[in-house]
Amino acid sequence: MRLPLSLLLLCLTSSLAGQSLRARLEGRVPAASIPVLDSLVEVAAAEGLPIEPLLQKAIEGGAKHVSSERIERAVAANIDQLRQAKALLVQAGDTVPVAALEVTSVASALRRGLAPSMVERIVASLPNQPRSSAFHALADLTAHRFNPDSAADLILAAVGKGMQGLRLLDVSGAALQELQRGRTRAEALARVRAKLPNVPPAPTPAQSTVQGARRPSATAQRQ
Amino acid sequence: MNPIDPTVHQALDGELPPETLAPALRRDVERLQAVVALLATAPLVGSVEQRVMAAIERPAPSAARRLLRWAVRPHSVVLRMRPVWSLALAASLLLLAVLPSPKFGPQLGEEEGIAQFVGRFPGARSVNVVGSFNDWGPVSIPLEDRNHDGVWQAIVVLPAGTHEYMFVVDGERWVVDPLAGRFVEDGFGRENSVLIVRPLRR
Amino acid sequence: MDVSEGPSDAQVVARVLSGEHEAFGLLIRRYEPGLLRYATRMLGSRDAAADAVAEGLVRAYRHLASCRDPTRLRTWLYRIVANRCKSHLGRRPTGDVSLDEAPPVADPGDNEAALEHAEELALVERALMTLSPEKREAFLLKHVEGMSYEEMAAATGERIPTLKMRVHRAREALLEALKEYQ
Repeated sequence: MRLPLSLLLLCLTSSLAGQSLRARLEGRVPAASIPVLDSLVEVAAAEGLPIEPLLQKAIEGGAKHVSSERIERAVAANIDQLRQAKALLVQAGDTVPVAALEVTSVASALRRGLAPSMVERIVASLPNQPRSSAFHALADLTAHRFNPDSAADLILAAVGKGMQGLRLLDVSGAALQELQRGRTRAEALARVRAKLPNVPPAPTPAQSTVQGARRPSATAQRQ
Repeated sequence: MNPIDPTVHQALDGELPPETLAPALRRDVERLQAVVALLATAPLVGSVEQRVMAAIERPAPSAARRLLRWAVRPHSVVLRMRPVWSLALAASLLLLAVLPSPKFGPQLGEEEGIAQFVGRFPGARSVNVVGSFNDWGPVSIPLEDRNHDGVWQAIVVLPAGTHEYMFVVDGERWVVDPLAGRFVEDGFGRENSVLIVRPLRR
Repeated sequence: MDVSEGPSDAQVVARVLSGEHEAFGLLIRRYEPGLLRYATRMLGSRDAAADAVAEGLVRAYRHLASCRDPTRLRTWLYRIVANRCKSHLGRRPTGDVSLDEAPPVADPGDNEAALEHAEELALVERALMTLSPEKREAFLLKHVEGMSYEEMAAATGERIPTLKMRVHRAREALLEALKEYQ
C-alpha cells in the first residue's frame, strides 16, 4: 500500500515524539502509566495543544510519589484546562493556530483562579501581545482580594499608557505596597493609577548577589 | 604504616566470616565497615543531567577548539631564564595585576535571571528546592544554612519566566514556600509556589 | 520508584545509538548517584565532582559506539569518570587536600545524632584524603561502589593483584589515620 508522504511524515513524527515522551518519563513515573500518558498526550497533540506542560505535570507527580491514577487524572485535567484556554483565545479573536505560549499562559491564569470572564477581557484588550504578565498581575491583585474588575481596569490603564510585559508586574506590585502601607484597596488602586506610567521598577539584584549565584547543576546535595 | 592481620583482609574481602576472628581483629573489621557505611550514605552531589543533556545537544567541539581549550587550561610549566629576562617578566606581570580584572560570577544569557530562595527550617538536615526549572528533580538545588540559625538560602541562575516549585526538607517533606506570594493548585491536592524570574539583562 | 522495572542498559544504548538521544537521560539518572558519590570522595569537592562526572558523561555519550559490551556499561562509565577525576587531581598542586564545602552541620540544640554523624563523616573524609589517589580509588571502588576485583580491573585497567594490594594498603592507612584523629 502506498502512503502519501504527509501521512508517512506524520507517522514518523508521532513515532519520534512517542520515543521522546518515553525517554522523558522513564524512571520518573510508574512504568505502568507511561502507555496511558502516551495516549493522553497523543490526543492533546492531535488537537494542537502544547505538550510540555503535560509532561511537566506527569514528572511532577512522579517526583511527589503520587499514584499512577492520580498522575493520569491530573494530566487529563490539564488537557481540559488547555482546551478551555484555547477556546477562550479563539473566541476572543486570536487567529488559529493559536500560539502554544498563549494557551499555556491562559491555562495558568485559570489555574491561578482568574475567572474566565476576566481572562477573556484581558485577551480581548491585548490582541497583539503576550498576556502572561498581565494575567499574573491581575492574579496577584485578586489573590489579595482586590475587586477583579477594578484590578483589570488598573492593568489595562497601564497598558493604555504604553506599559507592557514585566512592567505590569511593577504595577500590581505598587498596588500591593500601597495596601501594606495601610491604604484601602480602592485607595491603593487610585494612587497607583495616578502615577502611571511612572511606577517604580522592581529592584535589580546587587552585583554581589549575581556573582554569588550558582547554576543548579553545579550546586548540589544528594539525600 | 602498621600491617593488618591477613584474616582481617580476608574477612573484608568476603573470604572469611568475621565471627571467626579474634575480638580485637573483629573490631578492625567493624571499624572499616562503619567507615564504608558513612562514605556510602552521606549526602553528596546532585544531578548533572540537565547540564549533560544540554552539552550533548550542542555539536562536539572541533579539534581546533579542543586545542584552544587545552591551551587556556592551567598546566605546570617550568621556565629557565636569565635574570634580566625574569625581571622583565616580573615587571609585565605586575603591570597586568594593576589593570582592572574581569568580574567573576556566572555569565547570564539573554533569557536568564536570578532567583533567591529563603526558608526558615530550624533542625532540618537538608533543604532543596524542586520545580519546573529542574524537572522536579529532588536533589539538584540545595539551600544552605551558613549561619546555622535555621535560615536556609540559595541564589540560583534560572531561565526567565514563570516557574512552579516547592521546598523538600530532609529529602521527604514537601513544603510550599510561604514567602512566595503566589500559589497555584498542583492537581494532586496540594499547592505549588509560583515564581516569576525576570531576565537580568533587559 | 523502582528503576529495575525499566529497560536494560543494552536496550537503552541501542536506542541512543539509533538516534534517540534523549534516552541517554535514563542512563544518567541510573548511574549518576554512584558516579557523583565516587567522584566527590575522590576529589574532596562537590563542585569538582559535578564537573568530572558531567564531563565524563558527555564523553561517554560521544563515544557510546565504542562501548564494546553494553551489559558492562557500569564499569565502562566508571572508567571514564575515574580518568576525569585523575585529570582533575593532576591539575592540583600535590598536598592540596582541602575539603571545600564540608557537609552542613545540624543545629546542635535540635539533633545531637545528626551532629555526631556530621563530625564522624568529616573525620572519615579527612582520613580518606590522606590516602594516595590510587589507594583511595581502589578503596572506594571496592567498598563504597561495591565492585568485584574483576570489575575494578575493567574500570581501572590495572591487574587484580595490584588492586588487591592497593585495597589492603588503603585499609591499613585508614585505620591508622583514624586512630591518630581519635
